[in-house]
Amino acid sequence: MVPPSTSRRGRSNPQSPGCPTLCNLCPVANVLHLEGLRRRFGTLTALDDLSFDVPSGQVVGFLGPNGAGKTTTMRAIFGLTDLNAGVVKWNGSVIGQSDRRRFGYMPEERGLYPGMLVGDQLSYLGRLHGMTSTDAAAAATEWLERLGIADRAKSKVEALSHGNQQRVQMAAALLHGPELLVLDEPLAGLDPSGIDAIGEVLAAQARSGCCVIFSSHQLDQVEDLCESVVIIDHGRLMVTGGVDELATSGPRRLVVRVDGDRSGSWATGVAGVTISEVKGGEVRLVLDDDVDSDSLLTLARGAGRITEFVFERRRLSEVFREAVG
Amino acid sequence: MTFVLIPVLIAIAALRLWMRRRRRQTSPRSSRPWLASIKSDVGLVAVREMRERFRGRIFKVGTLFILIVVGAAIIIPALHNNSKQPPQMIGVVGTSPASLRATVESSAKGVGDTLQFVAEPDVQHARADLRSGRIDLAIVNGSQLVIDRPLAATNSSVDSQLVLAVAKNVGITEALQAAHLSRAQSETLAAAKALPVTSIQPGKKSSVNSTSLIGVILIFVMLSQYNTWTLIGVMEEKSSRVIEVLLSTVRPIQLLTGKVLGIGLVALAQASLIVAFALAVSKAVGSNLTHGTAPLVLVSTLVWLVLGYAFYCWVYAAAGSMAERQDQVQSLALPLSLPMIFGYIMALTQASSGSPTVLLKILAYLPPTAPFAMPVLVGFGAVTWWEFLCSVLISVACTFGVARAAATIYRRSILRTGGRVRIREVISPAR
Repeated sequence: MVPPSTSRRGRSNPQSPGCPTLCNLCPVANVLHLEGLRRRFGTLTALDDLSFDVPSGQVVGFLGPNGAGKTTTMRAIFGLTDLNAGVVKWNGSVIGQSDRRRFGYMPEERGLYPGMLVGDQLSYLGRLHGMTSTDAAAAATEWLERLGIADRAKSKVEALSHGNQQRVQMAAALLHGPELLVLDEPLAGLDPSGIDAIGEVLAAQARSGCCVIFSSHQLDQVEDLCESVVIIDHGRLMVTGGVDELATSGPRRLVVRVDGDRSGSWATGVAGVTISEVKGGEVRLVLDDDVDSDSLLTLARGAGRITEFVFERRRLSEVFREAVG
Repeated sequence: MTFVLIPVLIAIAALRLWMRRRRRQTSPRSSRPWLASIKSDVGLVAVREMRERFRGRIFKVGTLFILIVVGAAIIIPALHNNSKQPPQMIGVVGTSPASLRATVESSAKGVGDTLQFVAEPDVQHARADLRSGRIDLAIVNGSQLVIDRPLAATNSSVDSQLVLAVAKNVGITEALQAAHLSRAQSETLAAAKALPVTSIQPGKKSSVNSTSLIGVILIFVMLSQYNTWTLIGVMEEKSSRVIEVLLSTVRPIQLLTGKVLGIGLVALAQASLIVAFALAVSKAVGSNLTHGTAPLVLVSTLVWLVLGYAFYCWVYAAAGSMAERQDQVQSLALPLSLPMIFGYIMALTQASSGSPTVLLKILAYLPPTAPFAMPVLVGFGAVTWWEFLCSVLISVACTFGVARAAATIYRRSILRTGGRVRIREVISPAR
């Protein structure tokens, strides 16, 4: 299960840590629960007993190499693929059509009516999600403004650039105020400003209590945007947890730069210390649990003037590579 | 009219019964949100289809084009039939006794022509007027007829018939007078009417047959057009990938039903407009389209347009869900259109031939060909109301079966991308 965590950027989780289900303290405490999903396409196993949870109030990154089963999993949430086994639940109940009406979905292969006006299209999709025509039109206007394409409401989708089409697609997933947001590669093909805009929207949605899960291959952006990640490979769950937790898990990693000892010879032979990398005067050390960092600081000071002495977090890309081999 | 009215009344009664039963079922429970949502989703999809189609340039231009063609098809023959022939100018050289004039006038009446006598001073003047076209025929001294050009053996124009009739009747009158009969006796003999001739086989009902022809062509054109819309519409939703967004909130059967319903309503609206336009124009110009059983054929055409669309739309929608590109659509559309083309050609041939055959009667009970064959049978007056109703019920029952199969194919193939889906891949029960 993805644990509730506190954002590194100071976003507070509206769900109390450890809160099992709905309670009076939690304004919103929805949970998406995937349990034992199996899906075979002929001889190919796309999902292999896949289970994990997506709690509300978090942006969860859904990672895996190509063909890992991410898209199949997302389609399974919306009943778009038949499962050989397993069940997808929302707040403890098997997901039905009325639940899906309250979800937002952005598929990997973007899809909109090319010849339809942007505003009309969003209103139509909003109405399919149960909104009144007035509310849908108002929400469409609001989201087009928030995503910076308010002037394109009367344009046909086919007349928009790829990035703007993606924003319209994002608006389509958001305009009905979904409780669960499932986005397949929402950042693909976006310029930095587009990524920032989408990132802000996702964070705001999570803050408002929405469950947000999105897949991406852009691990640096996932690390910046997400509180938690789920990493799968060959349809199986490999790693799941909070980004902070995963970054600080495992042996401690220390980066030291000492003037006059660019090769890190001062650390050679120290018990419980392994030099993992020496690059440009920076020496990366992996410390056993019982190694005292103060004594290492003293040793380094003896070798010369210390210009850098910092504990390093594991990058998400490292976690990913370790998880999928 | 009976066999259109009775099915309509039965359908209305069945609908009212069904609605009353549903009200009774729903009233004890406060609400059935899932039912409301199904209706609402189907309605939303249908309304979107209608709005987009009505907005489209193809619809506007196509409707205008059909209206122009239908209007021309009604107005031109009506004008041709109604146009008053100018009176035939008969030059008379010499004396023209009243008996001669009466004989000539009687002959003209017999061929549906009108006359005007012109006195010519002499033969030369008469010849000059014939050459100039001022007169059509000259009677010289009551014993000779002169025309400008010789009559052809196969000429059947009014002018030729008039000349032949005048020549014959004036000759007979002279012969009667030569037989020394009194004037009254001669006139009585000259006014003799031909005996009425009756045939065992019914004659051609030209006005009904032309209405049947127009109806069959209208059904074929509209079914082809709207089924192609359904086919391409479904394919485009798949190829543009919007289908995945839609199916994340709407069930496949709801989406499919809404789509075919929306396009079907557009088709019905267009067909109703065309029929109303045709009736209005024909009434205005006095066309025979509103006479006899022709209006019945038009109503029957509308009924079978709806039933034909209801039958074929599911097949085309299922085919559209298996395609992803335009070229795949074309290869799918051809085999689907074969039964339609067969029914159309057979119905067209029979409508032109003047009498229905056994084959046409068989085709009128087969749902793929009934939309073309049955209106033609109605035009011939060769079908009773219960036979009509029987064919309608067979078509409706088969439509339900086809819709069920199509929905399964649609559900299984609409999300399968990366190439055309083969039929055996989606009908296998082991999927």
